[in-house]
Amino acid sequence: MVNEELTPHIQELQRVLGDKIDEEQLEMELNKYLNEYHVSIDAAKRGIIRKYGGTDTATFVTGNSLIKKVAELTGSEQNVDITAKVVFVDEKEITAKGIPKKIVSGIIGDETGTVSFTVWEPGAMVLAKGSVYIFRNCYCKTWNDKVQVNIGNRGKIEAADGIKIDLPERQISASSSEIKIGNIKDGMGNVTVTGKIMSVESREITARGEQKTVFSGIIADDSGKIQFSAWSDFGIKEGESLCIKNAYIRSWKGIPQLNLGDRCEVSRVDAVTNVVDTSTNKKTVDEISRIGGGLDITLDGLVVDVRQGSGIIRRCPQCNRSMLNGACTTHGMVEGIMDLRLKVVIDDGTGAIGAIINRADTEKLTGVTLQAAQGLASIKGEGVVGREITSKILMKRVTVTGNVMSDDYGPSMIVKSADILDIDIEAEANALLDEVEASL
Amino acid sequence: MNARETAWRVFATELNSSTLEIKATEEKMPSYIISPLGAKINRVLISGVLTEKENVGSEEEPMWRGRVQDVSGSFFINIGKFQPEASAAIADLEAPCFIAAVGRVRAYTTDDGRTFITVRPEHIVKIDEKIRNDWILETAKSTWKRLKDTKKVLGMGDATEKDLIDAGMSPVEAFGITYALDNYGNLPDSTLYLKTIQAALRMLLPERNVDLGFPEDLSDEPDEIEIPENGNAGGNNAAQLEDMILNLLEELDTDGKGAPREELERRAEAEGISSIELEEVSNTLMDKGLVYEPNLRYLKRI
Repeated sequence: MVNEELTPHIQELQRVLGDKIDEEQLEMELNKYLNEYHVSIDAAKRGIIRKYGGTDTATFVTGNSLIKKVAELTGSEQNVDITAKVVFVDEKEITAKGIPKKIVSGIIGDETGTVSFTVWEPGAMVLAKGSVYIFRNCYCKTWNDKVQVNIGNRGKIEAADGIKIDLPERQISASSSEIKIGNIKDGMGNVTVTGKIMSVESREITARGEQKTVFSGIIADDSGKIQFSAWSDFGIKEGESLCIKNAYIRSWKGIPQLNLGDRCEVSRVDAVTNVVDTSTNKKTVDEISRIGGGLDITLDGLVVDVRQGSGIIRRCPQCNRSMLNGACTTHGMVEGIMDLRLKVVIDDGTGAIGAIINRADTEKLTGVTLQAAQGLASIKGEGVVGREITSKILMKRVTVTGNVMSDDYGPSMIVKSADILDIDIEAEANALLDEVEASL
Repeated sequence: MNARETAWRVFATELNSSTLEIKATEEKMPSYIISPLGAKINRVLISGVLTEKENVGSEEEPMWRGRVQDVSGSFFINIGKFQPEASAAIADLEAPCFIAAVGRVRAYTTDDGRTFITVRPEHIVKIDEKIRNDWILETAKSTWKRLKDTKKVLGMGDATEKDLIDAGMSPVEAFGITYALDNYGNLPDSTLYLKTIQAALRMLLPERNVDLGFPEDLSDEPDEIEIPENGNAGGNNAAQLEDMILNLLEELDTDGKGAPREELERRAEAEGISSIELEEVSNTLMDKGLVYEPNLRYLKRI
């Protein structure tokens, strides 16, 4: 950045820093950040202010934090104190940079609203549901347009026993909307669904040190099916039809699941007929993209691309994950086990979806067995195997079934079963002709 | 979301009669062509007979042009160095043969205001007649749906996108149709598309005497289209230049130090990018924070 372009930034810094630093020195500092170390202008300004101790807390982070009510949080706060009551709290184990780590997350609220929070370095402090705390030096981010409060290593949590907070009554009845199961999406709050229990089973889990029985299974209506989990015993039996009010949606890896919590109401209704054939849950890519994900979805489409990582791969003998350059990301250099797989893009004209196809189905679709692939690789190299199976599958019409989840790059499917799809072109062409003729 | 763009199934008639373009205004934002029937196209899946191919580049750096004929007309394809797989594949193809290809579309507008659409295949594959017929069927169904939807929208009066979504269209379909009807100025030529569907059905059902009441002749499309020489010089917009430079930077960065300036200039020159243009583009890329100069003689992609 040349000097003229720096002028406005220098002026801005001068306003913040006052006479703590003269212009010449400021220019030198800024030059150093930008032209020697190539950091962004924002980072440079932040660094300089930190270094020379500005006081403009509204624009920049300094030692002083703001105090805000939950409803006032915008998601961009860098340093904020919040006094709030814990509505819900849970401990989670995550993997950060390959190292397992415990975090605490949940929901806190005050009289203005509720917000989710995460404590990244929980330490010995145990947060109790229903107690009030002062969360100091938090930073906020937004995810899915919702504010999240983070308590990082600079954060502090203090018990605020003397403070009483009344949370606003949640307007559940108003926000619980009746919805078809096929339209349930990631990120939905309260829903009411009516459907038939396709299966249910109970299992014992330990949640927060407490032994609990969870009832889970599949519920379906005429539009789709979804996995549910009931956190208390509603006496749900397979085959009965239920109206479930005030259930909430939580997604696991982009696949929405229906949760029946404390506030849920379950009532028996007239038998729901027309349940989707749960053996085939056929959707277009456009439908899948709008829902975000789901279980056992079937789709038809054309293989329009074969991605890197197709062909012969090696898996870690310990964790079974695919290795890169002879190394497993978790277990380091190991002697890998050979495997065959396909990573393809399937496009049905309404959208495109990534799909990972295992060895058995890769062999079936391409007619190339792992053994044959290894033979070919030993003569011509593994790159040739990739090209060979690519040529066997590209532009072929396939039907695949599997679980779908979504990330920033759209939906992708872990394929459980795959087949080349043979369509009756003549019959379909006749049907189209009849339709066109009838409309003219 | 950066979801992959849908490969639209369109016949040559629909693609070639498209003149509307929604150009990318931001980095990483795709450009689209809106067809008269409202297909919002960044990528297409085409199929037909590769009738001709020609390498207009050099032996080392091929630039392929080709023509693919479907039941309604011809697609114009070109394949350069940034489509390495397709480039290798087309070298081995011998015209005529059935092919299927998937690629991004580009629009060129000549000085006298005519628009030509070309397809840059990422993949081009030799197929058999059955797969070609499969494509014709799917494309006919897809074209028919767009035609029906367009008629439906015309019948709805002043329908908003939301009305259309409520009526069962996907957001992309609703946007495309609304945009096409609002911006083409005149209504889509439904006869052209019905003729195309008729031709498709005749191909698929030779036994049935398919007659939707339209004369045989179809195309009033151009025999030749004008594509700027080697597809690079002249017709480049800023985004394309940036992409090319970024790709070159990656290619020339052999040791992690970045791309040597001189080498970059030489290669850019060969691509028809002048040193002044190169300077401008690299400045823009630096401003965007996509590249930086580890030292004066190198430029590196971040």
